[in-house]
Amino acid sequence: MPFLSRVLPLSVCLALTLLAGCAPERDPGNVYRGALISNLKTFDPAQASDSYSNQSQFQIYEALYEYKYLARPYEIQPCLAAALPEVSADGTVYTIHVRTDIEFQDDPTFPGGKGRKINAHDFIYSIKRLTDVRTDTYGWWIFDGKVKGLNAFRDASEKLPALPDSIHPALYDQEVEGLRALNDSTVRIELTRPFPYFKYILAMPYAAFVAHEVVDKYGPEFLNHPVGTGPYVLKEWRRGLRLTFARNPKYHHGFYPTEGSPADSAAGLLADAGKPLPFIDRAELYIFNETQPMWLNFLRGNLDRSSIPKDNYSQAVTPGRGLNEVIRKRGIVLNRMWQLDLTYICFNMKDPVLGKYKKLRQAMQLGYDVETVIDRFYNGRGIRAQSLIPPELAGYDSTFRSPYGEYNPARARKLLAEAGFPGGKGLPELVFLTVASTEARQRGEHFAQNMAAIGITVKVESCTWPEYLERLQVSRYQLVGASWMADYPDPENFLQLLYGPNKPPGENNASYQNDAYDRLFEEMTRLQDGPDRMAVIRQMKEIAAEDAPWIFAVHRVAEILSYQRIGNLKPHAVAESPIKYYRIGEGK
Amino acid sequence: MLSGRLYSAMEVPLLLESVIRRLKRDKVALVAVCVIGLYLFAGLLSLAGLLASGFAEQVGEAYAPPSWAHPFGLDVLGRSVWERLVQGSRVALIVGFFSTAIAIPVGAVLGLVAGYFRGWVDALVVWLYSTLDAIPTILLLLAMALVLPTGKGLATVCIALGVTSWVSTCRVVRGEAIRQKELDYVRAARSLGAGNLRILFVHLLPNVLHLVLVQASLVFVYSIKSEVILSYLGVGVQNFPSWGVMIDDARLELVGRGVWWQFAAATAALFVLVLAFNLFNDALKDALDPKER
Repeated sequence: MPFLSRVLPLSVCLALTLLAGCAPERDPGNVYRGALISNLKTFDPAQASDSYSNQSQFQIYEALYEYKYLARPYEIQPCLAAALPEVSADGTVYTIHVRTDIEFQDDPTFPGGKGRKINAHDFIYSIKRLTDVRTDTYGWWIFDGKVKGLNAFRDASEKLPALPDSIHPALYDQEVEGLRALNDSTVRIELTRPFPYFKYILAMPYAAFVAHEVVDKYGPEFLNHPVGTGPYVLKEWRRGLRLTFARNPKYHHGFYPTEGSPADSAAGLLADAGKPLPFIDRAELYIFNETQPMWLNFLRGNLDRSSIPKDNYSQAVTPGRGLNEVIRKRGIVLNRMWQLDLTYICFNMKDPVLGKYKKLRQAMQLGYDVETVIDRFYNGRGIRAQSLIPPELAGYDSTFRSPYGEYNPARARKLLAEAGFPGGKGLPELVFLTVASTEARQRGEHFAQNMAAIGITVKVESCTWPEYLERLQVSRYQLVGASWMADYPDPENFLQLLYGPNKPPGENNASYQNDAYDRLFEEMTRLQDGPDRMAVIRQMKEIAAEDAPWIFAVHRVAEILSYQRIGNLKPHAVAESPIKYYRIGEGK
Repeated sequence: MLSGRLYSAMEVPLLLESVIRRLKRDKVALVAVCVIGLYLFAGLLSLAGLLASGFAEQVGEAYAPPSWAHPFGLDVLGRSVWERLVQGSRVALIVGFFSTAIAIPVGAVLGLVAGYFRGWVDALVVWLYSTLDAIPTILLLLAMALVLPTGKGLATVCIALGVTSWVSTCRVVRGEAIRQKELDYVRAARSLGAGNLRILFVHLLPNVLHLVLVQASLVFVYSIKSEVILSYLGVGVQNFPSWGVMIDDARLELVGRGVWWQFAAATAALFVLVLAFNLFNDALKDALDPKER
């Protein structure tokens, strides 16, 4: 008993101390504390397939280009490149000058432990490593079929011995026709055909610079030893608990943007214009597997930034879309950003009824009450889409209106009658396919309810995610609820969804075919950004609106909460959590 | 040997008459039967299109709380929770009836055959139900609901539940058949030249019928509960209100918006029906107990 009486309180104290150690400390100084809702799997840029990996790697690794922090629509700027790429007149040859004054962070791999300067060969190596089949990356698609000779390199890599043997094979030293370093500071990329969005690919985390010495030395352990050129270095990685980043003393090439919109200026986002980055000494990213602990830690002030778990939405945001008074008084602010996405209902154009009657499709678009969808299912966070292209993307025009982009049941009934189905008479029951989630099914039921109001009978069919994908690929559906999120901020990423040659198993799930649209798409892919390209895009939007192969539904808005102490925070849909721009203590 | 009397096939109406007489004396059983009858009545009226036929229509504002016009409130799409509840009882009763109609004959026949013949037939049946029983029920139901050629929907749910819930009936009937086959009346029938089929279905079956009836009411309840779970998981009834679908909808509304009425209505409807069936089961078991007869 005396033993127990001594040990028990001691154990309790120890347990409490350990528990306290798991929670972030309050007010830790010039430190940013963020959250990841997932266990981080890797620090290898070739495996950066999810947003949490992107967030973490963004602090350490850099690519030739990066996104401008304040510019909307999203634009890129040089990062490890000296300038934007020089593109040949036919759009297929990119000449890029690489900065040679930037150094990798210090690491025992390098002679004397001092990081060496980067050069054009590092870029070539990084892309070859990404292409190597053995790297087993999810990111190969960004270069697949785009660079001359790179697919042949990938095929050749299949014959190499399995990793970790031959980690740097002789194959890497052979020249690839379309991927060459002309000297230490110049890269020449030859494309198989023009890809105007190729510059965005060069800004993706997959295309980050890695040092071959580091990969060679650490081998399979490379994923745990990030060595980059970015603003931070990895100080500590406690699996499943916390990532700690410290300022990279060798980072001197990042500066706060000097240009922004009048709104940015009014919000105080240009107060630090031109100042060297980063402002924060240490960044800590805490790992939560559930949203509730993250939310409670955020409310207690232990985290600086948080998304709003859907079940806590009404606790945080009022019906008038403002921040709840109790939350606001804690010094929390609400940040909104466009998600660069589109939800839509896709018609199967191969269907004998839906594909044949254009007026039926137009009527269904007019009969769909999208405003109610936004209110009920997205808590008012979104706008009705009028075309494929979402706000804050080049090609978006807030004045563009589809002739059928409104809720007008009377007009819908009239068009339905003109299509030969007065009051829905003679029209067979249509099947709406959706995934078996509660909200997706409810949205399907809402659509069916809307259609019933104009005389069209729609049956909702739910299926699992793999079945859903399979049925899209083989066009085994009549109507399907879908959404698309930008892979890169170029309108081509959305417009290709209706390009004829992209029919299933490609991304054109509607199997839509319009020669005029296809010709314009091909012309658009040859044009660089500018008024000519925008004019072509507008014509494509008009064709898609008139043909109505989709019912354009919603462009969604994301909401993020942060404490006022975090200054310079402007949500960015592409580059998530760019901590190097944040400042502690001078929030707007 | 049990003190209850034995029945032949001709005397089955007598057995049922005695059971009904006993049930009439049990007040709790009568209340349970009335409740089940109410559900059945509502289900039949909705099937005939006389009740809750506008269950898919918007009749008011989304999430309107209970009122005189809509005593059970409205759901996310402004549909009447009451009308969806009634349609849900129709689904529950259909699933209960058809899956019981599949499971009970399968279980009873296999149990009788295994218990009567023993040997390799018994070994095969025992192997079959032991294997089926070793697979977690919900996983098995999910798998069957996904692979059945009837596609997703009410028919698939009935078939999936029917072919997975015969095990307990089979086990109970097999045990009783093993015991009964050694009794004098079976030996007498055999010595009089009765064939196996006659012994099985004319002599043995009436004397295990009391167990089959109790099993039937248990399978009925089990099927209703399983349908709710399958529909909640999204592989149950499609394109139609079910209590499982309603609870799934209500799950989101309850936490985020504090909308409790759909959740309360669907769970209460399920609770009351299952309770009524369980009380009825108890009474039926007592009424059929050979010791009491």
